[in-house]
Amino acid sequence: MNTLMTRGIQALMVAVLIGAATFAMMRALPGDAAYRIAAGRYGYDNVDTAAADAVRAELGLDGPALPAFLNWLGDLLRLDFGHSLVSGQPVIAEIGHQLGASLSLAAVAVLLSLIMGPPLGILAGLRPGGMLDRVLLVVSTGLKAVPQFLMALILILILSVQLRLLPAAGYGAARHFILPALALALGLAAVNARIARDAMARIGAMPFYSFAQWKGLSPRQTLLRHGLRNVSVPLLTYLGLQFVTLVEGVVVVEAIFGWPGIGHALVHAIFSRDVPMVQGTALCLGLGFVLINAVIDLVTGRIDPRRAA
Amino acid sequence: MTLLKADDITVAQGGTPILHPVSLHLEPGEPLVILGETGSGKSLLAQAIMGTLPRDLAARGRVVLGDHLLDAARPGGFRPLWGRQIAVLPQEPWLSLDPLMRAKGQVTEAHHLVRGMTVPDAGAQATADLDRLGLAEAGMRYPHELSGGMAQRVAIAAARAGGARIVIADEPTKGLDAARRDEVADLLLAELARGGGLLVITHDLALARRIGGRMIVLREGRVVETGPTATVMGAPTQAYTRDLIAADPENWELRNRRPAGAPVLTATGLAAGRGGVRLFSDLSFDLTAGRILGVTGPSGCGKSTLGDVVLGLAPPSAGRMSRSAGLAPTAFQKLYQDPVAAFPRHRTLGRTLADVAPRHGEPQDRIDRLMPRLGLAPVLLTRKPDAVSGGELQRLALLRLLLVRPKFIFADEPTSRLDPITQKQVIDLLCETATTEGCAIMLVSHDPELVARTADHVLSLAPAKASEPDLSGPRVKLAGHLG
Amino acid sequence: MTDAVMIPRPAGLALRWTGAALVAAALVLALIGPLAVPGDPFAQSLIKALSGPEPAAPLGYDHLGRSIFHRLAAALRLSPAIAMAAVLTAGLAGLGLGTWAAARGGWTDRILTILADALLALPGLLLVLIVLAIVPGTALGFWAGLSLVLWVEFFRLTRAATRAVLASPAVQATRLLGFGPVYVFRTHIWPEIAPMMLTAAAFGTATAIMAIAALGFVHVGMRAPTPELGLMMVELLPYWREAPLALLSPVIATFALLLGLTLLAGSRDT
Repeated sequence: MNTLMTRGIQALMVAVLIGAATFAMMRALPGDAAYRIAAGRYGYDNVDTAAADAVRAELGLDGPALPAFLNWLGDLLRLDFGHSLVSGQPVIAEIGHQLGASLSLAAVAVLLSLIMGPPLGILAGLRPGGMLDRVLLVVSTGLKAVPQFLMALILILILSVQLRLLPAAGYGAARHFILPALALALGLAAVNARIARDAMARIGAMPFYSFAQWKGLSPRQTLLRHGLRNVSVPLLTYLGLQFVTLVEGVVVVEAIFGWPGIGHALVHAIFSRDVPMVQGTALCLGLGFVLINAVIDLVTGRIDPRRAA
Repeated sequence: MTLLKADDITVAQGGTPILHPVSLHLEPGEPLVILGETGSGKSLLAQAIMGTLPRDLAARGRVVLGDHLLDAARPGGFRPLWGRQIAVLPQEPWLSLDPLMRAKGQVTEAHHLVRGMTVPDAGAQATADLDRLGLAEAGMRYPHELSGGMAQRVAIAAARAGGARIVIADEPTKGLDAARRDEVADLLLAELARGGGLLVITHDLALARRIGGRMIVLREGRVVETGPTATVMGAPTQAYTRDLIAADPENWELRNRRPAGAPVLTATGLAAGRGGVRLFSDLSFDLTAGRILGVTGPSGCGKSTLGDVVLGLAPPSAGRMSRSAGLAPTAFQKLYQDPVAAFPRHRTLGRTLADVAPRHGEPQDRIDRLMPRLGLAPVLLTRKPDAVSGGELQRLALLRLLLVRPKFIFADEPTSRLDPITQKQVIDLLCETATTEGCAIMLVSHDPELVARTADHVLSLAPAKASEPDLSGPRVKLAGHLG
Repeated sequence: MTDAVMIPRPAGLALRWTGAALVAAALVLALIGPLAVPGDPFAQSLIKALSGPEPAAPLGYDHLGRSIFHRLAAALRLSPAIAMAAVLTAGLAGLGLGTWAAARGGWTDRILTILADALLALPGLLLVLIVLAIVPGTALGFWAGLSLVLWVEFFRLTRAATRAVLASPAVQATRLLGFGPVYVFRTHIWPEIAPMMLTAAAFGTATAIMAIAALGFVHVGMRAPTPELGLMMVELLPYWREAPLALLSPVIATFALLLGLTLLAGSRDT
């Protein structure tokens, strides 16, 4: 399959880019990087000069850049991320702990956005220029202009500080989901709604949409049988691209709400220059994007036979 | 018993009438043809009768359909009749089928949802319908896997599945070549023979002649002439109708054959393909100044590819294309099927033309001298390409070519989007150009009559060895990728 | 990208003007504000901490007794300046590479597209964070990181539009008439991509300002005491009850600026 091949190349390239970026980050580490990496592997108590020298030799920290970089990439492609420089735990294990929390938050947010956005967008798109369409344009433009951190801040101020309805931070209970998920979902819904609206307006104006009604189908039957399926293709494709926005939101929102997920960990890792953790999480996010989009490619290929060809 | 009667139908846009009162009636077994050029109001008339006018247009008049009495001013009343009383055949059927649904499903759903059959019965009926139209294997295909002709037949089956007796076909041959045009006419007549009424809206004289029955000729929103089709076309009483009939390539006078002039190009053993399909091979011809070589053949046979090879835009897969020595690199030019797409969109035509002249050492006033010769008003130069009519723009395209004094013009279906009278003007100008400029022309057309009466020699390309499924008809374009 | 044509909606023009007015208002505050009311964004006066507006400080004072008005004006110069520098760099790079890839085709095109696709899979904030950790100097790091993120959009738009234009009969006709690549770019390609570039630039500026503010807000961007929009918000958040105006000032200014840029960009045809 050509499309899977393209995604495979994309995944490989993502890994190489992340490898290059984290390699540069490692080389730019202040102080004795070898000592810090050795400490991450063996624990601060067990580090001596010999261990640091061994790391130095292995990673070629003092040697020429190219062999060291290839060595670094080799480790990465074997999915050998090493140990966190901060906790000393294997990076894989750390990510395994945090991934669940992030995935559940992201899933709730996407679900919320799908409940809010596309239905409104489709209704607006059925009557372009109508009342709902104009109101939706104003609301979605306004929401799109609010970055997720600002949305989180506003929600905290209103729902948590002023009305004392919901906790501003914490993790575990269902009510802890509401604020961070909403902070993510509102922006996503604004964009989903626009995509659905534009797709519906475009499809509603196509000859086949009129022809279905000329055959004698009611507006409702036409929408259910010919409208929704056609709208779903651009909507799904866009959802895949939106994954990047979602991940950026997750990083920021987790940091704000103290959510124990991968995004929170990433911000910490960057802050403390924990290169192996940065590499692991970044790769996880990048490959997540490729994976989701590969799945969406397959699904839209099933719905739209023209794409599979 | 009259199937449909429409009295004093008018259409107005913001108070300005754009269709003056028209009355018509439709009898069982007798087709009615509404003939007119672009802007004649023929499609508006059909839309008013079906209740499908765009919202900013207001219709008036009375429509009697069986025992239903309808007011054209209230289009909502027509909706329950769609599919049940009136079957509407859309302009471009390959765009009128849901691209994500298999062909049979689109027929089945009408039997099921409109006529109220159970799903298995509806499916069986749909299979029977498709079989009858010779589409037994096409049922499981998606619209993009159907040829234009097949999509046309699926659309007919789907449109009539609701049980409608009246078929309204709006420009059913738009975008089809001559062979397919006759196929569609026969198909419509076959449907008519099964009982019911047929209303055909067209600008295509050949289609009208084949459909027969009675005819209404419209021009600029007014009825020009009515009567039996054979009478109107054989002995038109109005000047406009006479011009229209005379513009039909079938009625053109034969162009005088030109003596051979200086050689311009020689093709030896040309072959080319596209996407792994061999389009033509072992093609040899030569062309001399002042002569016209007509090229015909069904859609997809490689006419445009041949043009690319002759113009040097694509290499042949075998053979040799040679230009005569001493010709300027710009001596070979092309006239496009869609002139709007051949000009820069964002520039006025005057600027575009003014850029060309000095580049080839031509004085600017050559444009001013050519304009009246091609029947063009100077005001057109201040406009952008999309604000000029198709016929005018094609003449401006010809003018642009003449500025570089071409020795060869490849004219790729230059009039297929024009109305008959305009088409004749453009072809006449092209013939004149061959003579006065001493220019060799390759004229591509899907219309064998046009070519036969214009060209000095004719090159007929056979259909490409089409692999199944037959994709020779216009295909649905894949929607653009997001991003 | 067959229909990548921008069709301005009838209401679009009014919205665009509203957007331009909002952006202009933010810039007036940033550039002319400090001239009208002179003051120092860094001068502390703990006695005035969290006190309300007065003529020398029209928006009151923050928790360290610094004039919010002057800090806000400085912040509204900082992020837009970085953002515009990054958009300019990214725009030129994307435009150049996009045209080049479309015109050359072949491996040039393939490699650039693969690179752009891979960058597309990476969250922009993540790339900016990594670049910030490599490049010394936060402002320089933001400029480099944001340029790296933003060029992809310009590249994709330019490449897609240029490919479509180059394949059109209009360009073929122009070439047959003897015109060269410069004329083709000037009359065919540039008029198609110029409006897209404006839209992409407005979106890119908004994205960059959002990124700087978001990272400031979670303490990994600009560092105190730099006046920066996100940093100001997170610093003033604990004092919401005592001094709501102090927090609302950067919130409203950020929203107005971003809304203005979004409206200015107009509707993007996706």
